Amino acid sequence: MTLELKHLHCERDDRVLFRDISQCVERGEILRVAGPNGAGKTTLLRMIAGLFEVDGEVLWESAPLSAMPESVLYIGHAPQVTRELTVQANLQFLSGATMEAVRHALQAVGLRGYDDSLVRELSQGQKRRVALARLWLESRPLWILDEPYTALDVEMVAVLDQRIKQHIHAQGVCLLTTHQPPQQLDYRTLELGHGH
Amino acid sequence: MGIERRIIQREWRLVMARPGEVLKPMWFLLLVISLIPLALSPDSTLLAEIGPAMIWVATLLAILLNMDHLFKDDYSEGVLEQWLFWSRPFAWCVAIKLLTHWLFYILPLILMTPIVGLMLSIPADVIAVLLVTLLVATPALTCFSGLGGALTLGAARSGVLGVLVMLPLFVPVVILAAGVITRTTDGAGIGPLLALLAAFSLGAAILMPLAIAAAIRLNIGGST
Repeated sequence: MTLELKHLHCERDDRVLFRDISQCVERGEILRVAGPNGAGKTTLLRMIAGLFEVDGEVLWESAPLSAMPESVLYIGHAPQVTRELTVQANLQFLSGATMEAVRHALQAVGLRGYDDSLVRELSQGQKRRVALARLWLESRPLWILDEPYTALDVEMVAVLDQRIKQHIHAQGVCLLTTHQPPQQLDYRTLELGHGH
Repeated sequence: MGIERRIIQREWRLVMARPGEVLKPMWFLLLVISLIPLALSPDSTLLAEIGPAMIWVATLLAILLNMDHLFKDDYSEGVLEQWLFWSRPFAWCVAIKLLTHWLFYILPLILMTPIVGLMLSIPADVIAVLLVTLLVATPALTCFSGLGGALTLGAARSGVLGVLVMLPLFVPVVILAAGVITRTTDGAGIGPLLALLAAFSLGAAILMPLAIAAAIRLNIGGST
Protein backbone atom coordinates (compact mmCIF):
# COMPACT_ATOMS: atom_id res chain seq x y z
CA MET A 1 0.00 0.00 0.00
CA THR A 2 1.67 3.19 -1.07
CA LEU A 3 -0.88 5.94 -1.33
CA GLU A 4 -3.88 5.54 0.91
CA LEU A 5 -6.84 7.86 0.90
CA LYS A 6 -9.13 7.44 3.87
CA HIS A 7 -12.59 8.96 4.12
CA LEU A 8 -11.83 12.13 2.18
CA HIS A 9 -14.62 14.60 2.39
CA CYS A 10 -15.15 18.03 0.95
CA GLU A 11 -17.89 20.58 1.27
CA ARG A 12 -17.87 23.92 -0.49
CA ASP A 13 -20.48 26.57 0.16
CA ASP A 14 -22.80 24.01 1.79
CA ARG A 15 -22.55 21.74 -1.23
CA VAL A 16 -20.98 18.33 -0.78
CA LEU A 17 -18.40 17.81 -3.54
CA PHE A 18 -17.40 14.34 -2.48
CA ARG A 19 -17.78 12.31 0.65
CA ASP A 20 -16.08 9.30 2.11
CA ILE A 21 -13.59 8.63 -0.64
CA SER A 22 -11.30 5.76 0.29
CA GLN A 23 -8.78 4.36 -2.15
CA CYS A 24 -5.46 2.57 -2.20
CA VAL A 25 -3.02 3.21 -4.98
CA GLU A 26 -0.06 0.86 -5.25
CA ARG A 27 3.34 1.66 -6.67
CA GLY A 28 3.33 1.30 -10.45
CA GLU A 29 -0.32 2.27 -10.69
CA ILE A 30 -2.20 5.10 -12.38
CA LEU A 31 -5.41 6.41 -10.89
CA ARG A 32 -7.53 8.56 -13.14
CA VAL A 33 -10.03 10.81 -11.43
CA ALA A 34 -12.99 11.34 -13.73
CA GLY A 35 -16.28 13.16 -13.49
CA PRO A 36 -18.27 16.02 -14.99
CA ASN A 37 -17.21 19.67 -14.64
CA GLY A 38 -17.58 20.83 -11.06
CA ALA A 39 -17.53 17.33 -9.64
CA GLY A 40 -14.51 18.21 -7.48
CA LYS A 41 -11.68 16.56 -9.42
CA THR A 42 -9.28 19.45 -8.97
CA THR A 43 -10.35 19.87 -5.36
CA LEU A 44 -9.65 16.21 -4.65
CA LEU A 45 -6.21 16.36 -6.28
CA ARG A 46 -5.32 19.57 -4.44
CA MET A 47 -6.46 18.04 -1.19
CA ILE A 48 -4.29 14.98 -1.75
CA ALA A 49 -1.36 17.20 -2.72
CA GLY A 50 -1.78 18.99 0.61
CA LEU A 51 -2.54 22.40 -0.85
CA PHE A 52 -5.29 22.74 1.66
CA GLU A 53 -6.38 21.11 4.80
CA VAL A 54 -7.36 17.48 4.48
CA ASP A 55 -10.71 16.35 5.82
CA GLY A 56 -9.89 12.67 6.24
CA GLU A 57 -6.48 11.08 5.85
CA VAL A 58 -3.91 10.93 3.07
CA LEU A 59 -1.17 8.43 3.84
CA TRP A 60 2.01 7.81 1.91
CA GLU A 61 3.74 4.61 2.99
CA SER A 62 1.61 4.65 6.14
CA ALA A 63 2.65 8.16 7.21
CA PRO A 64 0.75 11.39 6.55
CA LEU A 65 1.71 12.74 3.14
CA SER A 66 1.55 16.32 4.43
CA ALA A 67 4.73 15.62 6.38
CA MET A 68 6.66 14.87 3.17
CA PRO A 69 5.60 17.36 0.56
CA GLU A 70 8.85 16.72 -1.31
CA SER A 71 7.47 13.36 -2.48
CA VAL A 72 4.85 15.11 -4.59
CA LEU A 73 5.14 16.61 -8.03
CA TYR A 74 1.97 18.58 -8.56
CA ILE A 75 1.14 20.17 -11.89
CA GLY A 76 -2.14 22.04 -11.82
CA HIS A 77 -4.19 24.33 -14.02
CA ALA A 78 -2.12 27.44 -13.36
CA PRO A 79 0.77 28.03 -15.77
CA GLN A 80 3.31 27.59 -12.93
CA VAL A 81 5.82 29.63 -14.87
CA THR A 82 6.78 33.28 -14.60
CA ARG A 83 6.09 35.28 -17.72
CA GLU A 84 9.02 37.64 -17.39
CA LEU A 85 11.68 34.96 -16.99
CA THR A 86 13.30 32.70 -19.55
CA VAL A 87 12.33 29.06 -19.90
CA GLN A 88 15.71 28.09 -18.52
CA ALA A 89 15.39 30.38 -15.46
CA ASN A 90 11.90 29.12 -14.69
CA LEU A 91 12.87 25.47 -14.75
CA GLN A 92 16.09 26.00 -12.84
CA PHE A 93 14.15 27.78 -10.14
CA LEU A 94 11.38 25.20 -9.86
CA SER A 95 13.48 22.06 -10.07
CA GLY A 96 16.96 23.17 -9.03
CA ALA A 97 18.36 21.30 -12.02
CA THR A 98 21.55 22.15 -13.87
CA MET A 99 21.48 23.97 -17.21
CA GLU A 100 22.49 20.75 -18.93
CA ALA A 101 19.59 18.81 -17.40
CA VAL A 102 17.16 21.56 -18.35
CA ARG A 103 18.39 21.45 -21.93
CA HIS A 104 17.78 17.69 -22.09
CA ALA A 105 14.30 18.07 -20.62
CA LEU A 106 13.42 20.78 -23.12
CA GLN A 107 14.56 18.53 -25.92
CA ALA A 108 12.29 15.81 -24.57
CA VAL A 109 9.24 18.09 -24.64
CA GLY A 110 10.07 19.42 -28.09
CA LEU A 111 11.26 22.84 -27.01
CA ARG A 112 14.86 22.48 -28.09
CA GLY A 113 16.51 25.86 -28.54
CA TYR A 114 13.92 27.67 -26.45
CA ASP A 115 16.15 27.86 -23.34
CA ASP A 116 16.57 31.60 -23.49
CA SER A 117 13.12 32.52 -24.74
CA LEU A 118 10.92 34.46 -22.39
CA VAL A 119 7.89 32.50 -21.29
CA ARG A 120 5.54 35.32 -22.27
CA GLU A 121 6.63 34.87 -25.89
CA LEU A 122 5.48 31.25 -25.96
CA SER A 123 2.11 29.88 -27.00
CA GLN A 124 -0.29 28.23 -24.54
CA GLY A 125 0.78 24.76 -25.59
CA GLN A 126 4.43 25.65 -25.30
CA LYS A 127 3.91 27.09 -21.82
CA ARG A 128 2.24 23.84 -20.85
CA ARG A 129 5.23 21.95 -22.21
CA VAL A 130 7.56 24.04 -20.06
CA ALA A 131 5.55 23.15 -16.96
CA LEU A 132 5.54 19.49 -17.97
CA ALA A 133 9.30 19.51 -18.57
CA ARG A 134 9.58 19.18 -14.81
CA LEU A 135 8.48 15.55 -15.18
CA TRP A 136 11.89 14.95 -16.75
CA LEU A 137 13.80 17.02 -14.21
CA GLU A 138 12.59 15.99 -10.78
CA SER A 139 12.58 12.53 -9.29
CA ARG A 140 9.56 12.54 -7.05
CA PRO A 141 7.59 9.33 -6.60
CA LEU A 142 4.05 10.71 -6.54
CA TRP A 143 2.85 12.61 -9.58
CA ILE A 144 -0.39 14.54 -9.33
CA LEU A 145 -1.32 15.90 -12.73
CA ASP A 146 -4.45 17.99 -13.17
CA GLU A 147 -5.57 17.92 -16.80
CA PRO A 148 -2.04 17.40 -18.12
CA TYR A 149 -3.23 17.02 -21.72
CA THR A 150 -4.82 20.47 -21.97
CA ALA A 151 -3.47 22.52 -24.90
CA LEU A 152 -1.14 19.74 -26.05
CA ASP A 153 -0.91 18.48 -29.63
CA VAL A 154 -1.13 14.79 -30.55
CA GLU A 155 2.62 14.41 -30.69
CA MET A 156 3.15 15.82 -27.20
CA VAL A 157 0.31 13.72 -25.79
CA ALA A 158 2.21 10.62 -26.98
CA VAL A 159 5.45 11.90 -25.46
CA LEU A 160 3.72 12.58 -22.16
CA ASP A 161 2.07 9.13 -22.11
CA GLN A 162 5.49 7.63 -22.72
CA ARG A 163 6.96 9.54 -19.81
CA ILE A 164 4.12 8.51 -17.50
CA LYS A 165 4.71 4.88 -18.50
CA GLN A 166 8.41 5.20 -17.64
CA HIS A 167 7.50 6.65 -14.26
CA ILE A 168 5.09 3.80 -13.58
CA HIS A 169 7.75 1.27 -14.62
CA ALA A 170 10.09 2.89 -12.13
CA GLN A 171 7.54 2.09 -9.40
CA GLY A 172 6.12 5.59 -9.30
CA VAL A 173 2.51 6.52 -8.66
CA CYS A 174 0.48 8.78 -10.91
CA LEU A 175 -2.83 10.49 -10.19
CA LEU A 176 -4.40 12.41 -13.03
CA THR A 177 -7.58 13.95 -14.27
CA THR A 178 -8.51 13.97 -17.93
CA HIS A 179 -11.70 14.43 -19.85
CA GLN A 180 -10.70 12.16 -22.71
CA PRO A 181 -9.66 8.71 -21.47
CA PRO A 182 -5.91 8.28 -22.14
CA GLN A 183 -5.46 5.83 -25.03
CA GLN A 184 -2.07 4.39 -24.27
CA LEU A 185 -2.14 3.99 -20.51
CA ASP A 186 -3.43 1.30 -18.21
CA TYR A 187 -5.26 2.96 -15.42
CA ARG A 188 -7.96 2.61 -12.83
CA THR A 189 -10.76 5.16 -12.75
CA LEU A 190 -12.25 6.88 -9.74
CA GLU A 191 -15.57 8.35 -10.79
CA LEU A 192 -16.69 11.46 -8.95
CA GLY A 193 -20.09 13.04 -8.90
CA HIS A 194 -22.13 9.82 -8.84
CA GLY A 195 -23.25 9.05 -5.35
CA HIS A 196 -20.00 10.13 -3.75
CA MET B 1 21.51 24.20 -6.05
CA GLY B 2 20.16 25.14 -2.63
CA ILE B 3 16.64 26.45 -2.38
CA GLU B 4 17.82 29.68 -0.76
CA ARG B 5 20.15 30.38 -3.65
CA ARG B 6 17.43 29.54 -6.14
CA ILE B 7 15.06 32.09 -4.61
CA ILE B 8 17.71 34.81 -4.54
CA GLN B 9 18.87 34.05 -8.07
CA ARG B 10 15.34 34.11 -9.42
CA GLU B 11 14.58 37.40 -7.69
CA TRP B 12 17.72 38.92 -9.17
CA ARG B 13 16.70 37.73 -12.63
CA LEU B 14 13.28 39.30 -12.13
CA VAL B 15 14.92 42.59 -11.16
CA MET B 16 16.98 42.42 -14.33
CA ALA B 17 13.92 41.55 -16.40
CA ARG B 18 11.87 44.46 -15.09
CA PRO B 19 14.17 47.14 -13.64
CA GLY B 20 11.25 49.55 -13.67
CA GLU B 21 9.88 47.87 -10.56
CA VAL B 22 13.00 48.87 -8.64
CA LEU B 23 13.15 52.36 -10.15
CA LYS B 24 9.45 53.16 -9.65
CA PRO B 25 9.58 53.69 -5.84
CA MET B 26 12.90 55.56 -6.16
CA TRP B 27 11.35 57.83 -8.74
CA PHE B 28 8.35 58.34 -6.49
CA LEU B 29 10.55 59.33 -3.52
CA LEU B 30 12.53 61.78 -5.65
CA LEU B 31 9.35 63.31 -7.02
CA VAL B 32 7.70 63.80 -3.64
CA ILE B 33 10.82 65.32 -2.10
CA SER B 34 11.45 67.68 -4.98
CA LEU B 35 7.83 68.86 -4.96
CA ILE B 36 7.79 69.74 -1.27
CA PRO B 37 9.96 72.91 -1.50
CA LEU B 38 7.86 74.03 -4.45
CA ALA B 39 4.57 73.53 -2.67
CA LEU B 40 5.64 74.64 0.80
CA SER B 41 8.40 77.25 0.79
CA PRO B 42 12.04 77.25 -0.26
CA ASP B 43 13.02 78.42 3.26
CA SER B 44 15.91 76.12 4.13
CA THR B 45 15.52 76.20 7.92
CA LEU B 46 11.90 75.12 7.63
CA LEU B 47 12.82 72.39 5.13
CA ALA B 48 15.63 71.14 7.31
CA GLU B 49 13.21 70.92 10.20
CA ILE B 50 10.41 69.00 8.50
CA GLY B 51 12.68 67.26 5.97
CA PRO B 52 13.47 64.08 7.92
CA ALA B 53 9.79 63.43 8.61
CA MET B 54 8.95 64.04 4.95
CA ILE B 55 11.61 61.60 3.79
CA TRP B 56 10.42 59.02 6.27
CA VAL B 57 6.80 59.24 5.18
CA ALA B 58 7.73 59.29 1.49
CA THR B 59 9.92 56.20 1.96
CA LEU B 60 7.12 54.41 3.80
CA LEU B 61 4.69 55.17 0.97
CA ALA B 62 7.27 54.08 -1.61
CA ILE B 63 7.59 50.75 0.19
CA LEU B 64 3.82 50.33 0.09
CA LEU B 65 3.90 50.91 -3.67
CA ASN B 66 5.68 47.61 -4.05
CA MET B 67 3.62 45.67 -1.56
CA ASP B 68 1.21 44.23 -4.07
CA HIS B 69 4.02 43.03 -6.19
CA LEU B 70 5.63 40.97 -3.42
CA PHE B 71 3.55 37.78 -3.64
CA LYS B 72 0.68 38.53 -6.01
CA ASP B 73 2.26 37.60 -9.36
CA ASP B 74 3.76 34.39 -8.05
CA TYR B 75 0.43 33.52 -6.47
CA SER B 76 -1.69 34.06 -9.55
CA GLU B 77 0.76 32.26 -11.82
CA GLY B 78 0.70 29.23 -9.52
CA VAL B 79 4.40 29.46 -8.75
CA LEU B 80 3.93 30.19 -5.06
CA GLU B 81 2.01 26.96 -4.43
CA GLN B 82 5.01 25.03 -5.77
CA TRP B 83 7.02 26.30 -2.82
CA LEU B 84 4.83 24.11 -0.60
CA PHE B 85 6.43 21.05 -2.20
CA TRP B 86 9.96 22.01 -1.31
CA SER B 87 12.01 20.30 1.32
CA ARG B 88 12.36 23.51 3.33
CA PRO B 89 9.65 24.92 5.60
CA PHE B 90 7.43 27.29 3.67
CA ALA B 91 7.95 30.06 6.23
CA TRP B 92 11.69 29.83 5.71
CA CYS B 93 11.27 30.30 1.94
CA VAL B 94 9.01 33.27 2.67
CA ALA B 95 11.70 34.74 4.93
CA ILE B 96 14.30 34.40 2.16
CA LYS B 97 11.91 36.05 -0.27
CA LEU B 98 11.38 38.97 2.14
CA LEU B 99 15.11 39.33 2.61
CA THR B 100 15.75 39.50 -1.13
CA HIS B 101 12.88 41.94 -1.50
CA TRP B 102 14.48 44.18 1.10
CA LEU B 103 17.89 43.90 -0.57
CA PHE B 104 16.77 44.52 -4.13
CA TYR B 105 13.83 46.89 -3.77
CA ILE B 106 14.15 48.69 -0.45
CA LEU B 107 17.87 49.08 0.13
CA PRO B 108 18.32 51.17 -3.07
CA LEU B 109 15.54 53.38 -1.77
CA ILE B 110 17.29 53.89 1.56
CA LEU B 111 20.57 54.63 -0.17
CA MET B 112 18.88 57.58 -1.86
CA THR B 113 18.28 59.24 1.53
CA PRO B 114 21.52 61.27 1.57
CA ILE B 115 20.73 62.72 -1.86
CA VAL B 116 17.15 63.72 -1.07
CA GLY B 117 18.33 64.85 2.38
CA LEU B 118 20.71 67.31 0.79
CA MET B 119 17.92 68.53 -1.47
CA LEU B 120 16.03 69.57 1.68
CA SER B 121 19.21 71.03 3.25
CA ILE B 122 19.11 68.67 6.22
CA PRO B 123 22.33 68.76 8.29
CA ALA B 124 24.73 65.87 7.73
CA ASP B 125 24.46 64.45 11.25
CA VAL B 126 20.67 64.31 11.01
CA ILE B 127 20.91 62.62 7.60
CA ALA B 128 23.17 60.00 9.15
CA VAL B 129 20.66 59.30 11.91
CA LEU B 130 17.83 59.26 9.38
CA LEU B 131 19.73 56.69 7.38
CA VAL B 132 20.25 54.54 10.47
CA THR B 133 16.57 54.68 11.46
CA LEU B 134 15.55 53.65 7.96
CA LEU B 135 18.04 50.79 7.89
CA VAL B 136 16.85 49.57 11.27
CA ALA B 137 13.11 50.05 10.71
CA THR B 138 12.60 48.96 7.10
CA PRO B 139 12.94 45.21 7.81
CA ALA B 140 9.86 45.55 10.02
CA LEU B 141 8.04 47.60 7.38
CA THR B 142 8.91 45.03 4.71
CA CYS B 143 7.54 42.23 6.85
CA PHE B 144 4.34 44.12 7.65
CA SER B 145 3.71 45.05 4.04
CA GLY B 146 4.38 41.42 3.16
CA LEU B 147 1.65 40.36 5.57
CA GLY B 148 -0.71 42.94 4.09
CA GLY B 149 0.01 41.59 0.63
CA ALA B 150 -0.36 37.96 1.73
CA LEU B 151 -3.67 38.51 3.53
CA THR B 152 -5.24 40.17 0.50
CA LEU B 153 -3.93 37.77 -2.17
CA GLY B 154 -7.40 36.58 -3.03
CA ALA B 155 -8.93 40.06 -3.29
CA ALA B 156 -9.20 41.59 -6.76
CA ARG B 157 -8.21 45.13 -5.77
CA SER B 158 -5.99 44.43 -2.83
CA GLY B 159 -3.74 47.50 -2.68
CA VAL B 160 -5.86 49.79 -0.52
CA LEU B 161 -7.21 46.99 1.63
CA GLY B 162 -3.74 45.67 2.43
CA VAL B 163 -2.53 49.12 3.44
CA LEU B 164 -5.56 49.65 5.68
CA VAL B 165 -5.06 46.31 7.38
CA MET B 166 -1.39 46.99 8.01
CA LEU B 167 -1.65 50.64 9.06
CA PRO B 168 -1.86 49.90 12.81
CA LEU B 169 1.40 47.95 12.57
CA PHE B 170 3.20 50.76 10.77
CA VAL B 171 2.21 53.39 13.32
CA PRO B 172 4.51 52.37 16.23
CA VAL B 173 7.47 52.07 13.86
CA VAL B 174 6.89 55.56 12.51
CA ILE B 175 6.44 57.01 16.00
CA LEU B 176 9.65 55.41 17.24
CA ALA B 177 11.62 56.57 14.21
CA ALA B 178 10.24 60.10 14.54
CA GLY B 179 11.24 60.01 18.22
CA VAL B 180 14.82 59.10 17.30
CA ILE B 181 15.04 61.97 14.82
CA THR B 182 13.54 64.57 17.17
CA ARG B 183 15.94 63.53 19.90
CA THR B 184 18.88 63.93 17.51
CA THR B 185 17.87 67.45 16.58
CA ASP B 186 17.38 68.20 20.29
CA GLY B 187 20.78 66.77 21.10
CA ALA B 188 19.46 63.97 23.36
CA GLY B 189 20.61 60.33 23.42
CA ILE B 190 19.02 58.03 20.85
CA GLY B 191 20.38 54.67 21.97
CA PRO B 192 17.32 53.26 23.78
CA LEU B 193 14.81 54.30 21.12
CA LEU B 194 16.99 52.91 18.36
CA ALA B 195 17.33 49.66 20.29
CA LEU B 196 13.55 49.48 20.61
CA LEU B 197 13.21 50.02 16.87
CA ALA B 198 15.76 47.27 16.23
CA ALA B 199 13.85 44.96 18.56
CA PHE B 200 10.70 45.70 16.57
CA SER B 201 12.42 44.73 13.34
CA LEU B 202 13.95 41.63 14.82
CA GLY B 203 10.63 40.48 16.24
CA ALA B 204 8.92 41.12 12.92
CA ALA B 205 11.63 39.24 11.03
CA ILE B 206 11.11 36.22 13.26
CA LEU B 207 7.32 36.19 13.58
CA MET B 208 6.08 37.68 10.33
CA PRO B 209 7.37 34.95 7.95
CA LEU B 210 5.28 32.46 9.96
CA ALA B 211 2.20 34.67 9.77
CA ILE B 212 2.73 35.39 6.08
CA ALA B 213 3.23 31.72 5.30
CA ALA B 214 -0.01 30.90 7.12
CA ALA B 215 -1.86 33.66 5.25
CA ILE B 216 -0.60 32.44 1.88
CA ARG B 217 -1.54 28.84 2.70
CA LEU B 218 -5.00 30.03 3.61
CA ASN B 219 -5.34 31.78 0.25
CA ILE B 220 -3.99 28.81 -1.68
CA GLY B 221 -6.45 26.55 0.14
CA GLY B 222 -9.31 28.82 -0.85
CA SER B 223 -8.57 28.69 -4.57
CA THR B 224 -9.08 25.87 -7.00
